[in-house]
Amino acid sequence: MNKILLIIQREYLSRVKKKSFIIMTLLTPLIVAGFYGLIIYFSIQGVKGTFNKVAVVNNNKSLTEKLQPTKNIGYAYVNQSLEAMKSSLKTTEYDYILYLPEFDISSPKGIQLIGTKQAGLSLSNRVSGDIEELIRTQKLKASGISQTDLDGLKTDVNIDTKKIGEAGKEEDSSAGASTIIGTAAGIFMFMFILLYGIQVMRGVIEEKTSRIIEIMISSVKPFQLMMGKIIGIALVGLTQFVLWIVLTASISTLAVSAFVGKDAIAQNTSVAIKAKDGTSISPAVNSPVDSPVLAMQKSLASLDLTKIILVFIFFFIGGYLFYSALYAAIGSAVDSETETQQFMMPVMMPLLVGYALSLSVVTNDPYGPIAFWLSMIPFTSPIAMVVRLPYGVPDWQLALSMLILVVGFIGTVWLASRIYRVGILMYGKKTSLKEMIKWFTYKN
Amino acid sequence: MLTIKNIVKQYATHRALDDVSLQVEKGKIFGLLGPNGAGKTSLIRIITQITGPDSGEVLFNGERLNVEHISQIGYLPEERGLYKKMEIGEQVLYLAKLKGLSTTEATRRIRFWFEKLEMADWWKKKVEDLSKGMQQKVQFVATVLHQPELIILDEPFSGFDPVNADIIKNEILELNKAGATFIFSTHRMESVEELCDNIALIHRSKKILDGPVKEIREQYRNNTFWLEYEGDYNVENSNQLFEVLQAETVNGKTQLKIRIREEQTANQVLSALLPHVSINRLDEVIPTMNDIFIQKVTQQDQKP
Repeated sequence: MNKILLIIQREYLSRVKKKSFIIMTLLTPLIVAGFYGLIIYFSIQGVKGTFNKVAVVNNNKSLTEKLQPTKNIGYAYVNQSLEAMKSSLKTTEYDYILYLPEFDISSPKGIQLIGTKQAGLSLSNRVSGDIEELIRTQKLKASGISQTDLDGLKTDVNIDTKKIGEAGKEEDSSAGASTIIGTAAGIFMFMFILLYGIQVMRGVIEEKTSRIIEIMISSVKPFQLMMGKIIGIALVGLTQFVLWIVLTASISTLAVSAFVGKDAIAQNTSVAIKAKDGTSISPAVNSPVDSPVLAMQKSLASLDLTKIILVFIFFFIGGYLFYSALYAAIGSAVDSETETQQFMMPVMMPLLVGYALSLSVVTNDPYGPIAFWLSMIPFTSPIAMVVRLPYGVPDWQLALSMLILVVGFIGTVWLASRIYRVGILMYGKKTSLKEMIKWFTYKN
Repeated sequence: MLTIKNIVKQYATHRALDDVSLQVEKGKIFGLLGPNGAGKTSLIRIITQITGPDSGEVLFNGERLNVEHISQIGYLPEERGLYKKMEIGEQVLYLAKLKGLSTTEATRRIRFWFEKLEMADWWKKKVEDLSKGMQQKVQFVATVLHQPELIILDEPFSGFDPVNADIIKNEILELNKAGATFIFSTHRMESVEELCDNIALIHRSKKILDGPVKEIREQYRNNTFWLEYEGDYNVENSNQLFEVLQAETVNGKTQLKIRIREEQTANQVLSALLPHVSINRLDEVIPTMNDIFIQKVTQQDQKP
């Protein structure tokens, strides 16, 4: 047992001390946080930038209805002539002048939007939409429909997606956030299993090609060496994962405060706190910063991130053990990395299939039979389950999938150790799959 | 010290060891000889518990070989390697700890050995920066560091320059004097004669010869002598006394390699020649291990 600890220690330290590990671990959260900060920055700047004050010069006697200020455009009627406004535009608070000339409301002509800058496409679209709306109201009123009836026609549609939780109570949910979190977790899982599985294989090949293997197994059992390596590298993966989470979270907070300033932070946090309390919040009614970021944060808060992270770690360890044992067996059977190709395919395929199906079928139908089976079979369950998780998975399914995975990795570790102990001492022979099966049946 | 009884090891298609029995005495240097592929490495792997025998048993100090004995055996494989990216000191420390030494004790001994073999400033170096010979020194230290009772060296001198080979040889002799038992696996017969007390010759998975080196060489004496004299003598005249294997005459000096016939003695040869020539030397050729090795192996190969 003590020897396994020594091996774990060496495998862990020799990797964690590598420059490439340190750089990757520090750089990735910086990049992620940088993107995150930029997205927030641009969305907030975008929202702010589209608020324009428009002075309306109305020369049309038949338009008795008035344009109402909207979220993005503040209309204000002025009693000045167009010429007077034009000459004084720079000194006023207005960004644009909207000129409504005399026209037949059935065929409006000659409407002008004048500014010191050329009005953007989105602004002119909004203004023309508002005018169309205005003319429609005017016409409807002309045909004798009252204001109250008109108000009654207007309905704001806001879909709140809710699902009934286990306990029968309604929970806030967001399909968008679930998809993003699920997809991200799936991609991460795929990358982690692949990267660290291959590290195990490389480690075994390194020991074989450098021929230290004979010295090693005159001191320790092959099984101890294999497990020590697998566990040591798993700890490297976990270290990297935890550091990424912690660093990304802290750097993101810093980045957000740097980009957005204190007000937005205060707002963000107040929203987040409210959401945690469970009180439903109307989407920041008159706030000028009603950005997609806030909506995103709100729905993120509705997900149980702690549970997702814990389950992710469990399935990472399970899936990693499941696959890395197979990679160790492959590593033991070959003399160099170039020879691994023929064995890599059968091991890569289920992982790739699981990855592709999880990101397409499972995200579209997280409760369907394909999603169910993918999240049960240990070859694909680590990926499929973390993709499904944010949508909500019944506890019994989660437990069953975990159990199958544990049984699965005990199976692959056992299988791999039998191939490994023979393979590591075989030099200079091309190994076929058939031969590996033969090794499997060797006595000690 | 080590008793090997009727070991059989069967791989899928060939039998690597066929009923091999050996006895390695405590404090001796034992040579394990044999051509390539004879089964030496298979036998060593069984002694070091890398693999197990199909049948037969190995006794270590009278006990059946088990995991406890790993810390009492040091093994330097022929195919040797180290972790390329690891620092030398760290690496030897790691290997020593795997053999059960504590960190402080291992560090103390590594410093002692590094000092002794003039490697003191290697501690922080990486293996990939060392030459092959330097790496071998590191491996030798790693092999003997935990003061094993039994040290197994597979081709220990390959890759060493003569100076370093001599240093290592002296270390081996010193360790042996201090009580360590050695098993040598080698093809280099001159080092066998120099170092080994006993040998066993393995060929085609079977042991075909074993015993003390001196006895074996005595046993393979075949009345061959070097004879050198000055003067004229027709060797044909002594045909019933000896057979000439090799002859050469330089500056009036004749050198003969002769085999004295059975029932005849060196004295008879001398008395036959003395009246005719002046004898410079007559000495017996004791077969080298190399000769015996080749003789035994080719003999065996000629058998059906």
